[in-house]
Amino acid sequence: MNLYEFEGKQLFEKSGIAIPHGFVIRRGDNVVSKYNEFDIVDVVVKAQVLSGKRGKNNAIRFCSSADEVQQATEELFAMDVRGQYVTAVWVEEKLNIAEEHYMSIVYDTTNKQPVFIYSHEGGMDIEDVMEENVIKIPLDIRDIEWNGGNNLWEDGLREIIKKLWQCFLEHDARIVEINPLVQTRDNKWVAVDAKIALDDDAFFRHGSTNSPQVTNWEEFEPRTMMGRLPTDREIAVKKIDEGEKYYQGTAGKYIEMDGDIACLFMGGGASIANMDALMRVGLKPANYTEYSGNPPREKVYELTKIVLSKPGLRGLWIVGVVSNFTNVKETFLGTIDALDELKPSFPIVIRRDGPFGEEGRKLMQDCAERNNLTMKIFGKEVGMGETAEVLAELVK
Amino acid sequence: MSILISKNTKVIVQGITGKEGQKAARAMLDYGTNVIAGVRPGKAGEMVEGVRVFDTVQDICNTYGNADLVSAIYVPPFAAKTAMMEAIDAHISQINVIVERVPIKDTAYCLAAAREKNIQIIGPSSLGYIAPSIGRIGVVGGPKDLVNEIFFPGNIGIISRSGGMTNELSWQVRQAGLGQSTAVHVGGDLLMGTTYVDLLRLFQADDDTTAVMLFGEHGGSYEFEIVDLIQNGEFSKPLVVFVGGTFANTLPEGMNIGHAGAIVERGKGAKEKADALRSVGVLIAERYEDMVGMIS
Repeated sequence: MNLYEFEGKQLFEKSGIAIPHGFVIRRGDNVVSKYNEFDIVDVVVKAQVLSGKRGKNNAIRFCSSADEVQQATEELFAMDVRGQYVTAVWVEEKLNIAEEHYMSIVYDTTNKQPVFIYSHEGGMDIEDVMEENVIKIPLDIRDIEWNGGNNLWEDGLREIIKKLWQCFLEHDARIVEINPLVQTRDNKWVAVDAKIALDDDAFFRHGSTNSPQVTNWEEFEPRTMMGRLPTDREIAVKKIDEGEKYYQGTAGKYIEMDGDIACLFMGGGASIANMDALMRVGLKPANYTEYSGNPPREKVYELTKIVLSKPGLRGLWIVGVVSNFTNVKETFLGTIDALDELKPSFPIVIRRDGPFGEEGRKLMQDCAERNNLTMKIFGKEVGMGETAEVLAELVK
Repeated sequence: MSILISKNTKVIVQGITGKEGQKAARAMLDYGTNVIAGVRPGKAGEMVEGVRVFDTVQDICNTYGNADLVSAIYVPPFAAKTAMMEAIDAHISQINVIVERVPIKDTAYCLAAAREKNIQIIGPSSLGYIAPSIGRIGVVGGPKDLVNEIFFPGNIGIISRSGGMTNELSWQVRQAGLGQSTAVHVGGDLLMGTTYVDLLRLFQADDDTTAVMLFGEHGGSYEFEIVDLIQNGEFSKPLVVFVGGTFANTLPEGMNIGHAGAIVERGKGAKEKADALRSVGVLIAERYEDMVGMIS
């Protein structure tokens, strides 16, 4: 889960990293009274989106009066930033900046450990900084404290580094980035931006049942990286997956898209390859949906219903690999339950095999016959991608 | 011959009393793999699928020694770190982490500890691997009749980021009248215990492997390591790669689809990877269905 700047800053603050004083504005808030209460004249007004490059996209404004803040807020809420929906606006004090630095900790997949990245040239994308001006220090995740790499830094900076490491560890972060890390004219180090990505797989130790000292991830508002609010269908699919713990994560992916071909894919890797295959034959996906593992029948039933609930569909493609252990019959029964109920009139193409594959396909065939569905079913004798072509023919 | 497993390999299953652990023990035994023991604290002395259960990994080592011992871990994600560390502390030379959704922090912790002891970790989120007619770790290939339909001893090495595609590619190989030397599911996580290049080195040294098929993924930098490996002359056999996720370029940066490791990142997409690999002579399949045709 990627955090908004204002959420990331809250985590920084908890870790003892200074952030500018500020406040959040939501749609419908009384901006003028909030600004007046804040009682600092010169402020920076920043759109809260999940992507960077806000400065270049006019999503950060400098204001010095209630009227200006009001107007800037209205404008920011009316725009999207590189396709991203503006969830909130963050207003903070404008600092007297002496220097801008860059600092982050991310996982390095080559060393399979975190790496600390620093540059004294902050404020721009780290990719744009010359290699010789970037310092990278490999870290060991087992170090519960880190001294900040010896004598490379002045004391103030080293304190921030230590705290950033604490923040990274404590919050099960995948990424913590401060850019810019500002040194003010009165010699204070302040995190002026915050980019944090949390590891969704660590949710179990950051929920409401954990100790009150732990930041409760359940309190973060729903979000999607698609640059808009999550759709009702996306939220509904998340709900399905919340059920019994043992099966969590087996049926949780649904991304709503612009096309008109409903997709129900099995297997993470295959699903991505099959999205490519679908687009190659000129069809447009209505959604990206994938299940894997052994989701129970009811879960597949609910998932199928949501996939089929989008208006304007012209086809359904159910495609999966020759599974290793997913019970094709059991999972198909969930889809069959949904098809029995909804009886879609558009063509359906299915390709699936694995344990109980033949039985599953037979039941699917029966379902098609009793409901008069236009359906073509294939087993492993036909490749997955080839069946995209079959669907393209039928849809035409 | 095969990589990773031999007829002498003895397998222990951590979490054997759980549903998945038991199923895997059955699947391995059915395929003729020598599963010698299972672990579940507090359940020592019980039998699962005819296999004796011990309280700890160390207890098993004390009984059988740890030569040729390989572990497969089937525990819930919150217990994965403890289970991995237990196997590492007992000096098990190869640990297969079948567990999905292990926090990255826990994975990184165990990988650091394993590296110091020169222990091979495969996964997390790996389904396991199979060397036809020699043995398998986990349930790769599925039930007995299905596994024998798909897997047959041969000369093609298979590496896949996806469990389903491990099977699917192996089936393509079989349909083409060829067989597999070893098919490995490396797992879909951001941090991979055993990477593509680790396996390519092993396949290079394996006389029975004449070519390798690899199903990669957008996101991460593991495919780029192959470029260096080939440039350094450490891998010279024919290699066909498919990198899924061209469509992912239409998604916003930072999005996560398919597997945990498949994050949309600029410069690390399917296209960039294909271009880099092509430049060192790797065959790039536009469609995964074309892979076997290109290799034969």
